[in-house]
Amino acid sequence: MHSEDYYSKLGFKCGLEIHQRLATEEKLFCSCKANLAGDRAIQSIERRQRAVAGELGVIDESTMFESRKERKFIYHLYRDTTCLVDMDEEPPHDLNAQALEISLLISKSLNCSIPDEIEPMRKGVVDGSDTSAFQRTMLCGYEGSIEVDGRQIEIPSIFLEEESSAILGNSASEVVYGVDRLGIPLIEIDTDPVIATPQEAKRVAMKIGLLLRLTGKVQRGIGSIRQDVNVSIKGGARVEVKGLQEIDSVDEIIDNEVERQAKLIEISKELRSRGAAVGSPKELTGIFKHTGAKIIGDQVWQGNSVFGVRLHGFRGLLGKEINPRMRLGSEISDYAKMAEVKGIIHSDENLDSYKLSGKEIGEVKSALEMQEGDSFILIAERRERCEKAMALAVMRARMAIDGVPSETRGADSRNKTTRFLRPIPGGSRMYPETDARPAETAAPQKKMGSRVIDIEAIRKSLLKEIKNKQLAEQMLWSKDMPLYEEVVEKTNADPMVVASVILEKFRELARAGVAVDSISGDALEYIFKKYVKKNITRLGIEEILRLAPKERWEVDRIIKDKKLERLPGAELRKMVNQLKGKNRNEIMREIMSRHRLVIDGDELNALLK
Amino acid sequence: MYSEALEKIFHSEDIHLGDTVKLTVKGKNYEGILMQRPESGDSSIVIIKLKNGYNIGVKFSKDSTIKKIRGGAPMVSEGKGLKFDGSLGRVELLYTGGTIGSKVDYLTGGVHMLTKPEELLDSIPEIAGIANIRLRQLMSIASEDISYLEWQNIAKSAADSFNDGARGILITHGTDTMHYTSAALSFMLKNLSGPVVMVGAQRSPDRGSSDAFMNMVCGAHIAANSDAAEVGVCMHASSSDDFCNFIRGTHVRKLHTSRRDAFQAVNNKPIARVGTGGRIEYLSNYKRASGEREKVNAVVGFDPKVAMIKVHPNSDPDILEYYHGKGYKGAIIEGTGLGHAPVSTEHKQFNWLGGIEKAVDDGMIIGMTSQCVNGRVNYKVYRNLRLIKNAGAIFCEDMMPEVAYVKLGWLLGNYRKDEAAKMLPQNLVGEISKRSEVDWFGENNAQ
Repeated sequence: MHSEDYYSKLGFKCGLEIHQRLATEEKLFCSCKANLAGDRAIQSIERRQRAVAGELGVIDESTMFESRKERKFIYHLYRDTTCLVDMDEEPPHDLNAQALEISLLISKSLNCSIPDEIEPMRKGVVDGSDTSAFQRTMLCGYEGSIEVDGRQIEIPSIFLEEESSAILGNSASEVVYGVDRLGIPLIEIDTDPVIATPQEAKRVAMKIGLLLRLTGKVQRGIGSIRQDVNVSIKGGARVEVKGLQEIDSVDEIIDNEVERQAKLIEISKELRSRGAAVGSPKELTGIFKHTGAKIIGDQVWQGNSVFGVRLHGFRGLLGKEINPRMRLGSEISDYAKMAEVKGIIHSDENLDSYKLSGKEIGEVKSALEMQEGDSFILIAERRERCEKAMALAVMRARMAIDGVPSETRGADSRNKTTRFLRPIPGGSRMYPETDARPAETAAPQKKMGSRVIDIEAIRKSLLKEIKNKQLAEQMLWSKDMPLYEEVVEKTNADPMVVASVILEKFRELARAGVAVDSISGDALEYIFKKYVKKNITRLGIEEILRLAPKERWEVDRIIKDKKLERLPGAELRKMVNQLKGKNRNEIMREIMSRHRLVIDGDELNALLK
Repeated sequence: MYSEALEKIFHSEDIHLGDTVKLTVKGKNYEGILMQRPESGDSSIVIIKLKNGYNIGVKFSKDSTIKKIRGGAPMVSEGKGLKFDGSLGRVELLYTGGTIGSKVDYLTGGVHMLTKPEELLDSIPEIAGIANIRLRQLMSIASEDISYLEWQNIAKSAADSFNDGARGILITHGTDTMHYTSAALSFMLKNLSGPVVMVGAQRSPDRGSSDAFMNMVCGAHIAANSDAAEVGVCMHASSSDDFCNFIRGTHVRKLHTSRRDAFQAVNNKPIARVGTGGRIEYLSNYKRASGEREKVNAVVGFDPKVAMIKVHPNSDPDILEYYHGKGYKGAIIEGTGLGHAPVSTEHKQFNWLGGIEKAVDDGMIIGMTSQCVNGRVNYKVYRNLRLIKNAGAIFCEDMMPEVAYVKLGWLLGNYRKDEAAKMLPQNLVGEISKRSEVDWFGENNAQ
């Protein structure tokens, strides 16, 4: 972990975009169910999309980029979670009032101003994840902030928008999407790029996540919250890292991205000092007519082409590691792969491993008019793909001379690194959603009153209830807080006992291999009701939980089978009387050793006083 | 639509839509582009496009101010124009407007008809590899506003284009009344030497998901390459972007308000199905171009004094008298089932028999069709049907009400009344089929 000073010297700039699905009954602009039921698709349709001129009359760069891939999109459709609106076959219905209220609550809790009228917009999306080729989105809060460990982090804007479709499959010529997810209300919270360190980024994300969870109105589970991070360093470029689903690795991934940008800046300095340049691609198929290099030979045998390009002054730099298991060569390869080729071969690699002969390498070098200090790249594929891939590789190689390209990158959670997805979208992709009416906010605000989510107030009230600072803090951050609240409210059990069972016992049992996740809230509530009525003891609770009951009758059966019924006071007194004469500790030990699970220690203690 | 008070302020500040402005409300400043306001909502809320591309609505109150920072650039209509290949089939594109010819003004948020229809072609560059297209803008109107006067204009233009050397005609048209226009052109255009293909869009071409692109591509394939000498509509065959159906102009109907496969064949099979790659698969018999180039004629007479009347429980037959009083010469009744109208003797006020009889005696032509849309009317099955027939109504076989309506107007515009009455139930251009084939309806109809 580096110091704050280290990052400030690098000119580290970092802002977050947090996307969270809201827990509404219906989708944002139609009456489909807004929860993913995991149903089977009932139909599928096939669509193509094309780039259209954006609002400034130009086709946005990232839009062009996806459209260049000319892929076919297959959409799977579902009974309860897809309708004609999701299929782009019917205009949107009215804006979901419940979603609007939740997003206003979140905006106000983050100290945002609320627009008098919310204007639905269309934001161009051409990766196919929206059947309409745009996402409906609207500004619902602005100029807010959140305090994280004493620092004020500005929140310039909060958006309410439609979730995209989920990718189910992906191949060279088509992408398969599930439309059940499309249109679920999603809130996006953006921070200013004022975050000082990767660790702070993680803390900010966690605190915003906490606030969202405390509304009780957001979806939970995998994929329901996603963090995107914008990172740059001095001399680098804004890179948007998408899809950080696990908060634990946020800092590590950012750190690697910083490292990558720093290395790319170094490489660019070196390239410029060498007067590096990128040549024009040439067809070299003839050289490989009888090659022993299988990876190229297979393509030539199928009648495909081999193209090569000279990279003047690149020698040694293509193979330079810029991230764990990532080299400049892999960055160029990632671009080429957008044209559906398997990859590239470059001269900083061990060419023997491809079984390229010295003669072939010599011919390539002379065909490309290479000089000392140059490198080359080869791509073998179907001619048109090959040409496209080469154009992309050349584009990326040229960018290496300039430094760090501005990109949207995907988080690789396994290697804690990022991989190229597409160029960063420009600002020219927004226009009004003319099919949906603007929504005035005066009435919903009046209905909501002054309610906001105040983390400090909730922290204080938890401490008052649980009376143990550590447990209370743990509970605040726990995803099981709603369960805790429900059990305490419905059973009147001692909050500290409930908290300790949910936070400590659950973890302990989980470690011991008990399927604690399958214990139902209802069973837990029933157990605590029995505890409050003195039907079982605190140790008895643990014994019951060990068998992970889902239903009330299971709880009853466990109590019966394991004889966990708490001994009535009269019986306990009888036992104590029978042991008269022995000293207090002996009595205690003797009784507890035989009836530990059914006797309350405090009760016994009191009797022995 | 901003309030009068706001419009006044804009005027005095020389502010126009699209200008960059600074709005100050309750001490807060908002800088951005002034956008158009939709017709709904609070007209004192000013919509500003912020730097991040989002629009925000801010209520303008007494103490608020708005100042112009700089004028906006007007929306540029590119319309570069594609280069076409003279060796391909010459197709005349007659542009009439509709959703296929509209787009959002990104600057102000309003929806407009294209000022330069070339823009539509610019977004479909592959069309230049299909046909040698010449574009003629006839009009730029929404289809709900199209009347017989436009039908006449389109028919004459199509005939001129054929006579000027076009092998096929592509017509862009709003979808709502496209099937009326296709029926009208079917009757008006005589001696066709090639296909007349109507295309539209259910999603405007300013969106990447628009159906306009594929409809245009498939329509161009038909217009440039098919030997059909018929008028038809070419639109999506399903919700997928894979095939279009080319459906006979007198047997096509918009059967859905918003889906892209809204147009389906009724009492017929599509003439052909066509893929984006240009493969045309003929699905039924059709009229072929003769090969000898005769002059194409446009017989465009049309009498608009024809009514369409839907009968229903409690419907009042006096409506016929009203129309007669207004100088109407004919009416097409959308009857129920096989061609019924109420003939009850118990509720005399709802009995249509006298009304029909009187209308016919007064010289009106009364055609009977069915609101079932699919199927054929028949006057022989029930006594009540025979009563209607005896009252003088002409049963229009398997013509849809809309087609019978267009046909009667066209007949009255070009023929004597007695001829018109005789021709109404006779097949002229494929609008009536003698046989009802098994797979024209239901699950078997693999359109």
